[in-house]
Amino acid sequence: MTFRQFAFNNVLRNKRLYIAYFLSSMFTVMVFFTFAIFAFHPAFSGGDINRNIIFGMAVAGGIIYVFSFFFVLYSMSSFLQSRKKEFGLLIMMGASDRQIRLMVFLENILIGFCATVGGILGGLIFAKFILLIAENVLIIEESLHFYFPAMAIAVTFGSFLVLFFLISIFVSFILRTNKLTDLIKGDKKSKGEPKASVFLSIIAAILLIAGYVTAVLVKGIFVVYAMIPVILVVVIGTYLLFTQLSVFIIRLLKKNKSIFWKKTNMLLFSDLSFRMKDNARTFFLVAIISTVAFSAIGSLYGFQSILTKDVKNSTLYDVTYSPWGDDTKEVIQQDIQKINAILEEDNIEAVSETMDEEIFNISEQISSVQIVKASDYNRFAALTGKEELHPAEMEAIVVGQSEAILTEDTKVDEMMMQEEIQIRDGREIIPSSIIQSAVLDIYNPYYVVNDSIYGQLGEPVRSDVSAVWAAKDAQEEQIIEVGRKLNEQLEHKAYSIDYSIYEINKTFGPILFIGLFIGIVFFVSAGSFLYFRLFTDLDEEKRKFKAIAKIGLTQKELKKVVNRQVALLFFSPIVVALVHGAVALTALSHLFNYNLTTESALVLGSFTVIQVIYFLIVRFIYVRQVRRTIL
Amino acid sequence: MLKLTNLGKVYEGKVAYRALTDINLEIDKGEFVAIMGPSGSGKTTLLNIISTNDSPTTGNLEIEGKNPHRLKKNALAKFRRNELGFIFQDFNLLHTLTVEENIVLPLTLDGASVNEMKEKAGKMAESLGITPIMNKRTYEISGGQAQRVAIARAMIHQPKLLLADEPTGNLDSKAAKDVMNMLGNINKKEETSLLMVTHDPQAASYSDRVIFIRDGKLHSEIHRGESRQAFFQKIIDMLSLMGGNDHDFSSVRI
Repeated sequence: MTFRQFAFNNVLRNKRLYIAYFLSSMFTVMVFFTFAIFAFHPAFSGGDINRNIIFGMAVAGGIIYVFSFFFVLYSMSSFLQSRKKEFGLLIMMGASDRQIRLMVFLENILIGFCATVGGILGGLIFAKFILLIAENVLIIEESLHFYFPAMAIAVTFGSFLVLFFLISIFVSFILRTNKLTDLIKGDKKSKGEPKASVFLSIIAAILLIAGYVTAVLVKGIFVVYAMIPVILVVVIGTYLLFTQLSVFIIRLLKKNKSIFWKKTNMLLFSDLSFRMKDNARTFFLVAIISTVAFSAIGSLYGFQSILTKDVKNSTLYDVTYSPWGDDTKEVIQQDIQKINAILEEDNIEAVSETMDEEIFNISEQISSVQIVKASDYNRFAALTGKEELHPAEMEAIVVGQSEAILTEDTKVDEMMMQEEIQIRDGREIIPSSIIQSAVLDIYNPYYVVNDSIYGQLGEPVRSDVSAVWAAKDAQEEQIIEVGRKLNEQLEHKAYSIDYSIYEINKTFGPILFIGLFIGIVFFVSAGSFLYFRLFTDLDEEKRKFKAIAKIGLTQKELKKVVNRQVALLFFSPIVVALVHGAVALTALSHLFNYNLTTESALVLGSFTVIQVIYFLIVRFIYVRQVRRTIL
Repeated sequence: MLKLTNLGKVYEGKVAYRALTDINLEIDKGEFVAIMGPSGSGKTTLLNIISTNDSPTTGNLEIEGKNPHRLKKNALAKFRRNELGFIFQDFNLLHTLTVEENIVLPLTLDGASVNEMKEKAGKMAESLGITPIMNKRTYEISGGQAQRVAIARAMIHQPKLLLADEPTGNLDSKAAKDVMNMLGNINKKEETSLLMVTHDPQAASYSDRVIFIRDGKLHSEIHRGESRQAFFQKIIDMLSLMGGNDHDFSSVRI
């Protein structure tokens, strides 16, 4: 057996030990590769896709690559940690440092090569699936057909061989050969319980609270100034939270015998305090990475909803038309006919209403405000099935459209309530109430008055025409198609709301997709960190549970201990990340003065659900593993 | 107290292997029995079956009139925790716990009150002479101390039957003597039945009765008379008579 054979057999015949490292490497390759398939798709290189998007993708690819490097490095080093004893034995039998390094190097090359090939193959299987998702999220005109991604394969293969080669060299150099006795004792040695300083624990709490309070309290543009310091403070606070405060709390709990000595608590806490040093680092990493993922996805999603909600709430109708101020009646007639023709062309049955819009000057504050006949309002209301308005003779109703307005502190409608509208015979119409409605396609608040009094209003400042169409059970795609035609033929006069949203999504889609992709990569790798943490200690855990099982431990007790242990590991960093994320998104919503509660809840909620599912799966595997050794 | 009738064990596999054949054995309350025999004779298999870690293929096992192998898994765990005490060759202490915590572990799992545990652990530690190391970690104490901690853990809930697998196997002769003395004392004082598997004739000479097994069958048994010295000599003679490999026996003679 040559040394090379030894190194190779060591991997091939010891699959269980290497599988976790191999899988996480493969996963990394797969992520990069799927991204590459997408980025190198012919639809992008040839088509009319924005240069900025291509640049964005290159940057995203770079981020994923750099992240992969650190992720593989981390996996590698935690993997080597668990093999200290093996190295100790080899050294004792006379292996030189050089040989050990060579062995690690060869192993890495072997695993790296297999992981690269495996990741590419896995990526190919998922490629079509990913392309389908991308197609829907991105809203690309030509569909993303499946293609043979030669370029993506080449790039992935090349970059990951380089990556694994670099890591192999790197790792074999940093592999310090500690004292032989330490290595041999490897898994038995105790790192001792980590110590916590009261001072630093308090600092941790103060930093976190200060960071949160600042982030929640600042408003408007100050959010941007506060961002960097708050991030710094919270990151340091999080680090101290896991390394100091948590240790401190566990110590307190351990001191309290009536808690610590209660049933299985003893096993749980002693273990926790013992591992806290290793765990703290993982927890910190996972919490920060997840926070980045949550905030990135949350803010992108928030942006999109800010943009589309504004448009979506501005009108209830599928098509709206308002001519230029100097358009003649003939032009308007022609335009309306054109719109009808387009609708007919696409087989859309639509009902339409037209109205003359008259703008009046009532007072100095309210210099141009629209006043609408109740009958006009009710015609439009009938179109969309909204409630009709019936103001009394000398009464006016103020109609606002607050949902479409971003800033919440516009008080125009309230100012309008204070005014009185003078009519020709000197009497005054008094506004009676404010309602919110989007029945009319008018952005600013307006008055609705009784028809009988309408003729007695003064001369209007100017007069417009507005027309709306409400389609009867038309498909969204049809409306978008109509919108496209309207945009071509009657630019800036006729709009289709669905088409506007479609346009926004089209430009925003790629950004959202890239953000989502990177966010998910971060989140999944955070999960892998936890998985690694858990399974590095698996053998020791098995030994421990075996010892206890001999004394007598029921299945239920075993499950309880394992359950809590895994749950703590999985949820403490995520809970911290969720709180961080929620605070960050609150700050974001303050920046735009726009309520993002639904969006934040959706993003954070779905991540929580994913994490719970991940926890259930891992716990199932873990309990099975432990139980198998006991029986 | 403990009664084995026609106990047999066959390990299934490509080649079935009969580890134990028709073992009949009875141990009275408060009796101290040692089991000896050459490597591969089935000692540990027998102990594993009695300790309920392994199940017999044939025959019947009764502890205080009950067959623990008929119990459901969880009931079995509770049975072990309450009725049996274990001492292992490699101590099996949890290194994340202190000495005291290790000792109270069986009571903790049973949900005893803290005061009761403290008190019992204190008494146990005193009688075993490990009070000064109560707050140390398991990696800070010597092998002899570790085995005494293990004894304390095995005895803290006053089990009816104490099972020891090579308790002196990892100890030097001085520590081995101390540990055996303590086991002997506990056996006398608490009236705990004690079953010990050992290679060491020195350790075996502390028992009331030594049972020899060979090739999975009971070979013979000898009872202790007045003097431990004479008993030791008888054990050595019996081992020589049984043959086996020379290195199985200690060549030390007192």
